[in-house]
Amino acid sequence: MGIAVKLDELLHERRMTLTELAERIDITLANLSILKTGKARAIRFSTLEAICAVLNCQPGDLLEFQPNKDSAERPRAA
Amino acid sequence: MPRHQPAALPIAYVVLRVLIVLNWIYGALLLAILGLSLANEHWTFMALGVPVSDQTRPLVMGMRAIAALGLLTVPLNLAMLKRLVAMVHTVRAGDPFVADNANRLQAIAWVLLALQLISLIIWAIGKAVSTPAHPLHLNAGFSPAGWLAVVLTFVLARVFAEGTLMREDLEGTV
Repeated sequence: MGIAVKLDELLHERRMTLTELAERIDITLANLSILKTGKARAIRFSTLEAICAVLNCQPGDLLEFQPNKDSAERPRAA
Repeated sequence: MPRHQPAALPIAYVVLRVLIVLNWIYGALLLAILGLSLANEHWTFMALGVPVSDQTRPLVMGMRAIAALGLLTVPLNLAMLKRLVAMVHTVRAGDPFVADNANRLQAIAWVLLALQLISLIIWAIGKAVSTPAHPLHLNAGFSPAGWLAVVLTFVLARVFAEGTLMREDLEGTV
């Protein structure tokens, strides 16, 4: 994906664990882990809002567009 | 986990299994008739009510061609029925919106198209060789319902393909 998720850096700066964030925004640890590792296909506005509210950041602090990074184009079904 | 198992699914599964067996029997019978018509032409066609002579030669050849085309439908029917059984399995497992099912439906649509074309060819042969003395009454030819089924299956395959992509998107949404 050309979009990088910088959740790891934000958590590190806030001295917060992924588990703690998951509990505070009421999202499963598994789903949050998918987001953190960049495996998510999409993010809901409600999730983004909750993360930004808890981490006291802007969406731009969490997501970054990296033009040089390969875009993982999903295969279209026949 | 499947939430609710309507009775239609187990019934469909059993019906499909029975149809697979019937398809094999149908194929075996056709093969037997075709083999007999080659091994003992006079006896076989006499039993079918067509005495072999120069006048009935085109009819005899036509009937053989129709039997051969009928034989061709056996693997086509089998391909379709097996895919339907696999689809019923996925529904029973509670996970029908998968790319495999979209591909299966696409394949079924092509099989249905082939069956309709074979039906048209059989109708044309029957029309060509049928005589007033020995009329051929065949349940073949253009079927609006059959062609509608072809179109519907192609459309449904596309719907399944798109539905599968949408589900994948939803699963990847956090």
